[in-house]
Amino acid sequence: MRFNRATALGLLVPALAFGVAACGDDDEGGGGGGGGNVAEGTTLTIYSSLPLQGTSRGQSEAVINGEKLALDEVGGKVGKYTIKYVSLDDSTAQNPGTADEGKTAQNARQAVRDKSTIFYLGEFNSGGTKVSLPILNKAGIPQISPSNTYIGLTTDEPGSEPGEPDKYYPTGKRTYARVVPRDKIQGAALVSVMKEDGCQTATLWNDKSVYGAGLARNIKQSAEQNDLTIENEQGTDKNSPNYRAIASKVKSDCFVWAGVTGENGVQVYKDVAAANKTVKLYGPDGVTEEAFSNPKEGGIPASVGARTKTTVATLGAKDLPGSEPILEKYKQEYNTQTVDPYAIYGYETMALALDALKRAGDKANDREAVTEALLSTKDRQSVLGTYSIDANGDTTLTDYGLYVIKNGQPTYSKKIEAAVS
Amino acid sequence: MSNLRGLLKGKNNLVVSLVALGVAAILPLFFDPLSNLTNNFILAAAFVVMALGLNIVVGFAGLLDLGYVAFYAFGAYTIGWFASDHFSSVNGGEGFHIAAGEFASNLPGIHLNFLVIVVVAVIITGIAGMLIGLPTLRLRGDYIAIVTLAFGEIIYRFAVNGDEITFGEGYKLTNGRQAISPIDSIDLPGFAPFDSAFSLRPFYWFCLVLVGIVLLVNFRLRDSRLGRAWIAIREDEVAAASMGVPLVKTKLLAYATGAAFGGISGAFLGSYLTSVNANNFQFGFSIFILAMIILGGLGSIWGVAIGAILLSFINTYFIPEVFNEVPRKIGLEFDLTILNFGIFGFLILLVMVLRPQGILPERRRALELEGVGAGDAIEVRAP
Amino acid sequence: MSTNTATADPASHRLSDTLREAASKYGLIAVLLALPVYLAISDLISKGNLTDLGNNLVLGLSNGAIIALVALGYTLVYGIIELINFAHGEVFMIGSFVAFGLWGTFGISEGMAVPGMIVGLLAAMIAAMIVCGGLNVMIERVAYKPLRNAPKLAPLITAIGMSFILQNVGILWRGSSQASVPDLINQSNDLVTIGGVVINNGDVLAAAVTIPLVFLLTSFINRSRLGKAMRATAQDPDAARLMGINVNTTISMTFLLGGMLAGAAGLINLLYQTSIWYFQGFQAGLIAFTAAVMGGIGNLKGAVLGGLIIGCIGQLAEFRIGAEWTAVVVFAYLVLIMVFRPQGLIGEETREAG
Repeated sequence: MRFNRATALGLLVPALAFGVAACGDDDEGGGGGGGGNVAEGTTLTIYSSLPLQGTSRGQSEAVINGEKLALDEVGGKVGKYTIKYVSLDDSTAQNPGTADEGKTAQNARQAVRDKSTIFYLGEFNSGGTKVSLPILNKAGIPQISPSNTYIGLTTDEPGSEPGEPDKYYPTGKRTYARVVPRDKIQGAALVSVMKEDGCQTATLWNDKSVYGAGLARNIKQSAEQNDLTIENEQGTDKNSPNYRAIASKVKSDCFVWAGVTGENGVQVYKDVAAANKTVKLYGPDGVTEEAFSNPKEGGIPASVGARTKTTVATLGAKDLPGSEPILEKYKQEYNTQTVDPYAIYGYETMALALDALKRAGDKANDREAVTEALLSTKDRQSVLGTYSIDANGDTTLTDYGLYVIKNGQPTYSKKIEAAVS
Repeated sequence: MSNLRGLLKGKNNLVVSLVALGVAAILPLFFDPLSNLTNNFILAAAFVVMALGLNIVVGFAGLLDLGYVAFYAFGAYTIGWFASDHFSSVNGGEGFHIAAGEFASNLPGIHLNFLVIVVVAVIITGIAGMLIGLPTLRLRGDYIAIVTLAFGEIIYRFAVNGDEITFGEGYKLTNGRQAISPIDSIDLPGFAPFDSAFSLRPFYWFCLVLVGIVLLVNFRLRDSRLGRAWIAIREDEVAAASMGVPLVKTKLLAYATGAAFGGISGAFLGSYLTSVNANNFQFGFSIFILAMIILGGLGSIWGVAIGAILLSFINTYFIPEVFNEVPRKIGLEFDLTILNFGIFGFLILLVMVLRPQGILPERRRALELEGVGAGDAIEVRAP
Repeated sequence: MSTNTATADPASHRLSDTLREAASKYGLIAVLLALPVYLAISDLISKGNLTDLGNNLVLGLSNGAIIALVALGYTLVYGIIELINFAHGEVFMIGSFVAFGLWGTFGISEGMAVPGMIVGLLAAMIAAMIVCGGLNVMIERVAYKPLRNAPKLAPLITAIGMSFILQNVGILWRGSSQASVPDLINQSNDLVTIGGVVINNGDVLAAAVTIPLVFLLTSFINRSRLGKAMRATAQDPDAARLMGINVNTTISMTFLLGGMLAGAAGLINLLYQTSIWYFQGFQAGLIAFTAAVMGGIGNLKGAVLGGLIIGCIGQLAEFRIGAEWTAVVVFAYLVLIMVFRPQGLIGEETREAG
């Protein structure tokens, strides 16, 4: 057995050297990065990357339908360019209902590889965007998320982690925008609703995801500024069969859980409602969906629903007249009676992308020009209202809608006047 | 099959290894540098490293470890801690760097070169392997399985809830499901930094080198005194002990070595995926790796490598890309990907019942299983 | 052959041996009691009452009753063929699914008249018991029986495979997310309140079903012909075979019994948790297994005792430390028991414990 280390390594090292040589070739001929960042041909591709497995599937499909609707409205063309739409799944069987790191990175790379890519719409989960954003940023591909609210993706405001957001932009240039106000605003909206309802104390739990933990930090921060005492902070484990022991500790006026339905949200609200018969229940946009509110879909019972209010960054038709025709069209197109709030975000995500392409004009195939057009969006009149995109990629909209549950549906109640400091 | 087995005997291993690695090294040149297939090759190679590690514990030493994911976690957190901005205010916010890449050397936090990380990961996971192995020393059979499973679950919870455990200047133990990211890319001295946004090939070739080293170590170990001691313990612990095999030391070394491979692969995957997320450390992963070694043939190095590649491709390619639409085509309303684990479970079951020795069985085990009845009921109950 | 470490001759016992024996026998009980006693004292000092502790224990006992039902299935099977039926938790999950499916078929809903509901639920329970019993027998035939002569780890591995297959059946059946089911018994209704300690419908239900089932099972195994055959097979399958006991049938019947208990537990769980999930069996299975080991695997009374204790430990940990750490505490107990007293609280020393 003369199979010693030296011979083996001696034979393996050339393989590595070979690899690096080939790597060098790629850098010269490779696509993306640097100056000549222009999509080839007259067909431009817009990628969508959302979790299509697990609990988020309903919301993801609503987003996709909304995006397709907006694309259909312009006939699938902007100027001389034909737009191709490709929908990718960022979840896996091992990680359903959320963005799987490996799959998300793979999606981002698929977009990078495709020379015709002009936009990347996703991810649904802020945790996924943490993975895809740096890859897309290196290739200079503009990205819009239909749903991310985590604060650290765009700013270093309180609630973000050290090093954010710069660590997501390795080129130093911003390439990311979102159509949903960041959690700082949702946190303030939830706190102002609770204050309005006369709460002095609130119990704050979260689902420990990027979204939930981040939102909880923002709620807490806003509560401190508005004299709302936060009690009994707690992370919840999705796998727990019930939360009765910790629910029995809820003694405050209000209860709010920063999380998404798929993290066992229904059980959380049922157990808290049962343990404390008077506590008022609040939830964020992560639970504003039928899977949470409709008992027929496995959601909370009507008796708990009657005590629950949720917030979403979408106003109802009465405060946003512009959205009516779109909603009607959506209902017709997809033959449905109810429109998930995320369908509107999906619609606007695509509409914003198309708008940026249009404004880039002849340079609609130039990723840099398109990114610039995206980040200089001003006073855009949209289905969500009139807004601009600031230099960080955040929307200037601060409107949050308050939703109550009627007949198992999240139903718009009113606009929240949040005190954002 | 016996011809194939003959081919793999003795010195031929060297030839076969080099041919296999050589062919594997050329493969990605046929695809785009960012191809999904290259991504699949990388994952397969990383899983080969892990499976070979678990094979030492389960295949060689016969200790059924159902918590192997713990070592993936330890390896991944090693790189999460020591090659990211996780400990952001270390050294007054200046960061602490050892041969870090050009990009990383200006960032706050601890940034060690990947080669250093590999060494640290081997040490950390090796120690973790021994610590987890320690309580199982007196136990046998399925009790070991349950204790390791419990450890795996405990480590997973610590990974998820580590964001609540703070120390020092507000440092968190882990970042839970919010993930520690981004992780430094691999940046080897003398080579261009690896960048998964431009080409995956360097990652693949690097991982192939890891596979080569791990294969080498595996063959050397199997044919060493230690390897024979492992197999002796697997076959009959009491007999082994009475023949003078030091049980404690031998078992702990099996745990440590197996864990170290998991750690190396974990560190590599952490860097490749650019993030360390507690979501990835669930029980299913342990079974995924276990299925690889069962499919390939417990104890058979080549079998395990083939099993790992096969199952990895079933997971990343055949189920999601080739057969995903099949259920819809025959009028069923679901994607095949949701049945991933069911398919693995089915494969395990099928292999165990129909061909327990695996695709490419270990010689010794094949002989046992082909032998007459392999003992009666009494032997089953008291192995 | 058997590798029992020879027990020392009683005559040669020295004081240190006696002490060690006492420590190993009662040490675990002492450790288990230490936590609640400490909490009781600290509660008395800080709050002046034991309401919280009482509430934790009530919830713990009712959660524990369900765990005990599942644990009995593990213990039965382990007792007879020394195999951890890893798929047992999934059989329990399927029990929930079957029972819930039947609610729809039988038209059981909230606001139904009480007698009708009781009849309907009983019918659903019996159906779930039959389905799960049959399923468990089928699992034995497919996944364990062909491996009876293989190395001992083989059936454990197929059990895991089976468990994943059943989870996927659950996903195909009801999707991959947790769903709420109608609260038929108004389980959170406070039935009695004694000194601040609340006992609600769910707690009573858990006790009302578990206690009779356990009694039935114990007397069945102690008295019936089949029960005797089971005990004989457990003790020595070959001797049992020589005595004219059909070992295969006996093993099948054991699986049938275990599955039926899991089916019953499935329905109770549905009523008690008011939720359903394909993954519910995995976690419950591990916890129930911990309970079975704690009580002494193979020992029926031990499984029930273990279930109740684990239920209480879980609730105490959730209340005092936090919901996200409950699993860590339970698994830590599992490891400690495995290492220091693998024969459990009142179990016989098994060969594994060597």
